[in-house]
Amino acid sequence: MLIFSVFKTLTDQQVTVELKNDLSITGVLKSVDQFLNIRLDNIQVLDAARHPHMMAVKNCFIRGSVVRYVQLPAEHVDTQLLEDATRREAANPSKR
Amino acid sequence: MDIASGIQEPFDLIRLSLSERVFVKLRGDRELSGVLHAYDGHMNLILSDVEETIMIVDLPEGQTEGTGAVSMAKRKSEMLFVRGDGVILVAPGGR
Amino acid sequence: MDSLIPFTTSGSLVDCVDRKMLVILRDGRKLQGVLRSYDQFANLVLEDTVERIYHKNAFADFPRGLFLIRGENVVLLGEIDLDKEDEVPLRQVDYPTLEPYHRAEIEAKKERDEVKAQILFDEQGYSKEGGEGDGY
Repeated sequence: MLIFSVFKTLTDQQVTVELKNDLSITGVLKSVDQFLNIRLDNIQVLDAARHPHMMAVKNCFIRGSVVRYVQLPAEHVDTQLLEDATRREAANPSKR
Repeated sequence: MDIASGIQEPFDLIRLSLSERVFVKLRGDRELSGVLHAYDGHMNLILSDVEETIMIVDLPEGQTEGTGAVSMAKRKSEMLFVRGDGVILVAPGGR
Repeated sequence: MDSLIPFTTSGSLVDCVDRKMLVILRDGRKLQGVLRSYDQFANLVLEDTVERIYHKNAFADFPRGLFLIRGENVVLLGEIDLDKEDEVPLRQVDYPTLEPYHRAEIEAKKERDEVKAQILFDEQGYSKEGGEGDGY
């Protein structure tokens, strides 16, 4: 649940999602769910010429299981808070 | 310091690496070095100040066998979420 | 619980129902159709579906019909912006004309990927990705 909470705090921020098929999509994080499925609005695809099928797509839903990375806006991530929350969750694994 | 004494289960090793630099080997011919800030039971990670190394094979056009030169591409990210299902190993201390 | 509705699969896909959507599958196929239903696993019902293939600056459609797609096969679901769609600088051609080029492209990519994976396995110890279903 911890990572889900982190993504929730980042809604309406700009993120870049890199998929396992090497497609990179930048957009505004509109929502996320418990599976870390991600909804991005106003997207831009890296190397758009190689992905012509994405040209007409503005908003998209990405299945969590196909995500490799998400690049986060560092200025909106409180690393101290993250570490404390991670230690707390590690001490209380029932909430995982 | 005896790290092993504080370890009862595998995740303890990662817990002791919080706010430290770690080396992560990933599926898809990739390696990361970054400072660990969060993880969960799926081994999802959040790292900062990340350097990613991607193994690339330069294969001449049309070549279908034999050896190609393996080269490495490097990339940096300020803050990165890494999905746990791609993680092969996590090692304390960046390389 | 009301405050959690945006943070569910159902909350984020509700406004996509009855719209023309692009679905990318794990095997690399691209489908376009009208989203009629979905659930929390991203299982989808797609109506009037066509499979669209691309090669260079051409594309072609093959009619596929009505589908229920099991969620685990879905990579991405994209809302097609009908205004943007008109600006796409690709031309449509016959499916039978384009299909051999498309197939050759996939075969060539597969072959190159296999050779590269073998080299990385031999020299760096990276194992090959798990066959079918990982090819997207």
